[in-house]
Amino acid sequence: MAVKMDTSKIEAFKQELETMESTYSFAKSMYQSNVLQAAAKLMDDEEGLSALYQLAERYEQAGIFQDSPWEDPSKLQPFLVKGSLQAGGLTTISEMLSELRMVAIAKGVYKREGISEGQAKSFLHEVMALNIDILFPEETEAARIEGKGKEKDRMERLFQFLEEKLSLASISGELVKEISGLIAQRPIMVNRIVKMVNHAEKLMEKEIEESDRKAIQTYVDAIRGRTKKSRNCDTKKYRNKIKNLKEDAIKTEAQSFAKTMRETGLVASNHVVLVRYINKQHPQLLAEALDLTNKGKANLEEHISFVQQLIKAGIHIPLKQSLYGLAKMLDRGVLSSSPVIPGLRRIFELDLHSETRKVLLNSINGNEGITANSILIAGVISVLGQPLGIGQGMNPTCQTARGISLWSLHAPGHLLDLIARAARDGDVDLTFEGQAIHSKDLREGLVDDLHDELDPVSLILVPHLDRIYSELVRRSKFRGDDVHKWVNPAFYGDWVQKGFCSVIDPMTGSVADYPGFVRLFYGTHHPDYNEGYELIYPNPVGIFITNAFGKLLGLHAVSIQRIAKDPEGKMRIYFYNPNNDSSQDWGQGIEPSVEGCNEIPGESSLPFHQFVSRLYAFHYNQYEQGDAYAVEDEIVQEVEKLAKESWGEQHTWVQL
Amino acid sequence: MPRLNQETNSFKFTNQNDRKRLNGRQMGPLRINHERPERGSKVALIGWSVPSIEAIQQMEKPYIVVSHEDFRPYAEQHNIPFFAWDFGKPRHYQEVYERSGDLFAELVDLDVGHTIPIFEETVEWSGALNARLRNDPNVFDHSILFRDKAMMKRRAHIGGLKVGVFEEVENKEEVKRFFRRVNQSLLKNHSQEPDPIHFKALNKAGAAGHRMIFSEEDIESKLTDESFPGLVESHLHGMEISCEVFIHKGEIKFLNITEYVLLGYSSMVPPSAALEHYRPLIVEEVEKLIQAFDIQYGMIHPEFFITDQEEVYFGEVAYRIPGGHIFELIQKVYKFNPFGAHLLCCDPHTSQEELEKYVPKEAEADGHAGSFLVYPRKKTVSRVQIPPEMESHPSFDKHTLYKPTITKFQDINEGYGNHWGTVFLHGNDSEEISQLLTDYVDYDFYI
Repeated sequence: MAVKMDTSKIEAFKQELETMESTYSFAKSMYQSNVLQAAAKLMDDEEGLSALYQLAERYEQAGIFQDSPWEDPSKLQPFLVKGSLQAGGLTTISEMLSELRMVAIAKGVYKREGISEGQAKSFLHEVMALNIDILFPEETEAARIEGKGKEKDRMERLFQFLEEKLSLASISGELVKEISGLIAQRPIMVNRIVKMVNHAEKLMEKEIEESDRKAIQTYVDAIRGRTKKSRNCDTKKYRNKIKNLKEDAIKTEAQSFAKTMRETGLVASNHVVLVRYINKQHPQLLAEALDLTNKGKANLEEHISFVQQLIKAGIHIPLKQSLYGLAKMLDRGVLSSSPVIPGLRRIFELDLHSETRKVLLNSINGNEGITANSILIAGVISVLGQPLGIGQGMNPTCQTARGISLWSLHAPGHLLDLIARAARDGDVDLTFEGQAIHSKDLREGLVDDLHDELDPVSLILVPHLDRIYSELVRRSKFRGDDVHKWVNPAFYGDWVQKGFCSVIDPMTGSVADYPGFVRLFYGTHHPDYNEGYELIYPNPVGIFITNAFGKLLGLHAVSIQRIAKDPEGKMRIYFYNPNNDSSQDWGQGIEPSVEGCNEIPGESSLPFHQFVSRLYAFHYNQYEQGDAYAVEDEIVQEVEKLAKESWGEQHTWVQL
Repeated sequence: MPRLNQETNSFKFTNQNDRKRLNGRQMGPLRINHERPERGSKVALIGWSVPSIEAIQQMEKPYIVVSHEDFRPYAEQHNIPFFAWDFGKPRHYQEVYERSGDLFAELVDLDVGHTIPIFEETVEWSGALNARLRNDPNVFDHSILFRDKAMMKRRAHIGGLKVGVFEEVENKEEVKRFFRRVNQSLLKNHSQEPDPIHFKALNKAGAAGHRMIFSEEDIESKLTDESFPGLVESHLHGMEISCEVFIHKGEIKFLNITEYVLLGYSSMVPPSAALEHYRPLIVEEVEKLIQAFDIQYGMIHPEFFITDQEEVYFGEVAYRIPGGHIFELIQKVYKFNPFGAHLLCCDPHTSQEELEKYVPKEAEADGHAGSFLVYPRKKTVSRVQIPPEMESHPSFDKHTLYKPTITKFQDINEGYGNHWGTVFLHGNDSEEISQLLTDYVDYDFYI
């Protein structure tokens, strides 16, 4: 029987609305909670949402969002929606009313200044793509128990309403964009990607664009493994199946798996099964199974017996992503660097510190029959294969992630030493200005409770490196200049140049001589002014992170990897950002790209001047300075304008 | 040298002479003229309060708001007549009076004839300004009666209200001496459990600065040198209640009794029948208070203790809008706007008709309204949860809980601090409301 909507609830809402409409503009906030409360009661039934949707223009005009974060719809950010929806209380109610208002704008029933139908639509599409899990709620026991009853029901009802009013086709486009942005960077940790692909798969039953369907299919195939023989086969069954295959058929399987892995950086479980089998029975097919480059093939051939050992010890289903790491590691030819093989061999038999063992075993599900050493080896393979795929996860430890990446690229032997020290001895040490610093003697770092969605190497190393970094900062304070001038070369090693420049005057905290800062950077880094010196090692620089409106959010550590012209001939800065975000919008049209501008997977890039406008501190080689004076005034002015109108608004500027 | 035959310095002589000096002299509190002179058309609200601004705008009275610079942009955006003033942190009341000169000159230029304080800290500012407007410095001193707790209690005592024994103290030694003397009088100096005394800050609102002293060790552990000067007071045992009394021409126009269901957390208006039963006693005491404090106009917020012997003791009195959303509760059940009534009562120019139209005479309460102040309980919080059985309870009215904008909260360790949101209840059964107001003290609304 259809339940008739309780009209008294609508009347109650309208009454509160009228009271609010009739009050003075400054007193709106006094009535907001009444109106929101009445709205919340309406949200408990489906028709209530439609009723609110029809009143969207009225409640916004009445002042329900006045002086609140939802006041200006053009400034709302889709990725913040989920947090507000889950925040509970009036925050959730306001957020839901804001979405209903957006639907009204998107549908053209509410013409509102400052935001177009199209903008509202694309906002909602992005919201839906980002919250696809609410759109397709999981019917698990856990979801049921964890669910917050009323509020969760309201949220799901809202998304059903959104689905009714908007097409799912555009959402799939958003979702594919999100996934492809992440995949382009080839991160070591792929949990988030896998989760999104699983959600995207549910869209396949709905009417969506053909190109999106194809893209989603590719991702699903990569994760599930859809080769001829592996389709609908679990790992045990597949293992038995391939035992009876001829070499030709094995080769076809291998090529098929290798193709999807190379396309996406995602590894299927059965691919691991196949590679382990090939490793034992047909090692000559390994190069095919990994689709190695010529350099990779040569590296494999040179060290075949060691690689076979490595596969046995370090390539397992629960850590299947290390298979992609292995392929990339061979392509890099890292094994030919003399300290690497003995360094890896040491880890095979390393006597692990009990704490290390616990952390490593906790990172997988248990009952998998894998030793902590194997987990660590898998982690090392990934780190050596994907130096730009190392991420800081949810931790504020961008500096340490940057270190691991740098050493993996340029000092793998050193990195392996650090890993062995930390894993076996529970200690990492470093000499700073003649004094030894031991991580085991230090208590505090930036992070006191490490978020453990991290690769095995980071899990082991970050706590030690983080404490050392903080200790270096502590020891370098009050020297009259930015601490990073001393900390970075000591922490990362001699790969960091000794020259250092920061925009902030350490004594006053103000921005002093910004044009000089910009000129020095151009003069030491831009090929047109620096006499053609190439950047040899990554340069650890500090940047101001700004949001989509250019507002300062905080400081962040990235590394400039290289400086080169993009396909259009524009000079770009290619950098490694340890937070592996797919799409970032830093405001003022500054949006780092992760693919399409010749980025190596894992790099982000920006036009040279845009990057400089967010730069806060950098290192340079004092002996390789070009002609700073030659930098055109217009360029300096443009950079200064971008800086002043974004992060600079929160700083005092001093002209020298 | 000739000697007089009369002893001029004998006791009898001096005593008789002194008694003669008393004759014909005006003793007791100085009575002040509380009338508003005929100057200036506007009323200045000293302090920022949106409901008060709304009320005065609805009454269409000429006004201006005097508050901190920070409110200026908002005021300008919404056409609220505004004058920015930095009240600063004066070290003593006299400094307020001295500094008020400049503000007074500005307000006179703006055609202000009368000022009304909104918050505890603006009571003396308003007093100073009104004193200047009336050319009578005593008006300023009168306002301090509502601020300096020692002066307040002394005045109440003189006026015949029952107060605890109290003393002003400068250091821990004096607190110790007071503690001993009080217990000596109670013959409890040898007791295992001496009676507690209360230490209070001289001029802070609410519970800020309040410490209960149960032993001499408490004096060491609960007080620091920064606590002084302060006030110590013997313990009054009984029910603590507050009133909101609207007074005009020295008469009570409306008297609300608020039940502190859980001190610091929840209030209920009107109180339960058991407390309402004391209304006549309370009214009598309030009338005494009005006399003792020479109050002609305004809204006072006194706190009383009703002892087990049904005696009413005076706790303290404030000359400002009460906290804890009490006005909202009054509005909910008595159906008039107490913010407006407050302004009307504060202004001597308000006519009787105007008042009678605004404030109901014999008000019948529509049920009971309760407010529960929600404080964060965890160090880090990220979202809000409302107990579902509370939200679906028929007596649940509404809440004002948003996701906190800060995630880490610092316990200020002083007073009850600022609450982050409020739950409002409304229903007919006072017991049910009381229950709901106590049940959730240990509930984490912010998690």
